[in-house]
Order: sequence, then structure tokens, then C-alpha cells
Amino acid sequence: MIMIRAIVRPEKATDVMAALLDAGFPAVTKVSVHGRGKQRGLKVGDVHYDELPKEMLLIVVPDDAKDYVLRSILSAARTGRDGAFGDGKIFISPVVEVYTVSTGVREFAEQEAVLA
Amino acid sequence: MKEVMAIIRMNMVSRTKQALADAGVSSLTAAIAHGRGQGRVDFRILHGAEQGIEEAIVQLGQGPRLIPKRLLSIVVPDEKVKAVVDTVIRVNRTSQAGDGKIFVLPTFDSVRIRTGETSDTAINEM
Repeated sequence: MIMIRAIVRPEKATDVMAALLDAGFPAVTKVSVHGRGKQRGLKVGDVHYDELPKEMLLIVVPDDAKDYVLRSILSAARTGRDGAFGDGKIFISPVVEVYTVSTGVREFAEQEAVLA
Repeated sequence: MKEVMAIIRMNMVSRTKQALADAGVSSLTAAIAHGRGQGRVDFRILHGAEQGIEEAIVQLGQGPRLIPKRLLSIVVPDEKVKAVVDTVIRVNRTSQAGDGKIFVLPTFDSVRIRTGETSDTAINEM
């Protein structure tokens, strides 16, 4: 399993979540965050915005779904045809165990058993 | 060490914190998050659809609602992971959809800013 953390524009978050639903990945957690990137925030005239509001989407998916989910997120989160500064970043980290609280069951344990 | 990321119900946070402290893990980070799972959570729509109400059946096809949740992030040594996961499940389990998810992520290192200690000494609670 992998966790995909996508930091996207707040106004694009609904688009991305709709795209994920269409792609067959309904489960998403959304956290409001503030941050800056390598452009060091945003400068409009004399006003400098050091931290800009973004939404962080957490999606945990099987390893083999990575490229498919990434494509869905990228196409939904990009502004315009070529994209623009501030469209966000995507980070991917490994997840070693997943549990569903309501059942107490460790998810995907069967798949691992088959692999092992 | 591992990071245990638990997404739980809003009203379960204090009980979870208490239970974790009793289990010997008192440090955690909490954030407010909104999320959706497999989309089986909105009982009004489900109930309405069972009764055959047209509006509810139409809504069934639409996207699931975002539910407010709490995201707890707990970094613990490997040997405490099982205790944390078991505690969170025991406290939060109501056996209904929406109880939450727990993810266990590998963590490479941690540093205590006050002293500069790294690795397991940075997260021990002795």
C-alpha cells in the first residue's frame, strides 16, 4: 500500500475529489494546510504572501494503482493546459499496515499472504 | 520507528487520548480533517432509499458527503505499534461504517528539537 499526499489549490480540491470518485477511489481525507513552495509564496505589487492556503488530500491505494491515481489527480489539479505555479505537489510514501476501525480487521492481509 | 496515522470520529478524541496515555503513549499530534470512505455513511439517504423514496434513490448515485474527522499522528518505536493500533481500535470501534482507518507508515528518523537527540531517544517517554 502507498499513501499519496496531494497538496492542491483549495478551489481544485472538489475537482480532484470528483475525479478520484470517477476513478473508483472514493476514500479520501482532506486537511486544510498553509504553505509555500520554491517561489517563496506570492508577491502581488508590494504585498508579499509568505504562506498560501492549500488543501492536502490523503489517499491510500494499492501499489499497482499508483500511476492511474496520479494521472487522475494531475489532470484534475492542473490549471490551464500547461499548469501554473502554485498548482501543488504530490508526495508518495509507503504504508506498511492498514486497519479498519469498525471491524478491527487488517486490510489486504490476504494479498500479502498470497505474495509471501 | 513507525508513524501511526489514525482517522477517527470527532467525539472520540478525548477517550482515545486517555486510553493511549494509559497504554504509555502520551505524545500525539491532532488535526481536523474532512473525509469520505467507501460512501456507505449517509444513513438518511440509505434509509430513504430503503423506503423507496424517489429523491433518496436519485441521491444514492451522487458522491458521498465529506464527514468531519480527527487525524491523529503518533510516532512510536516499532515495538509499541501493536499496542497503539489495538488501543485505537478498542476505543473507537462501534462496528458501524465511519469509525475510521489506521495507517502505519515507516519513519526514518525523528529529532527532538530541544536537545537535538535523534532516533528512538527522541521519542521515548521515560
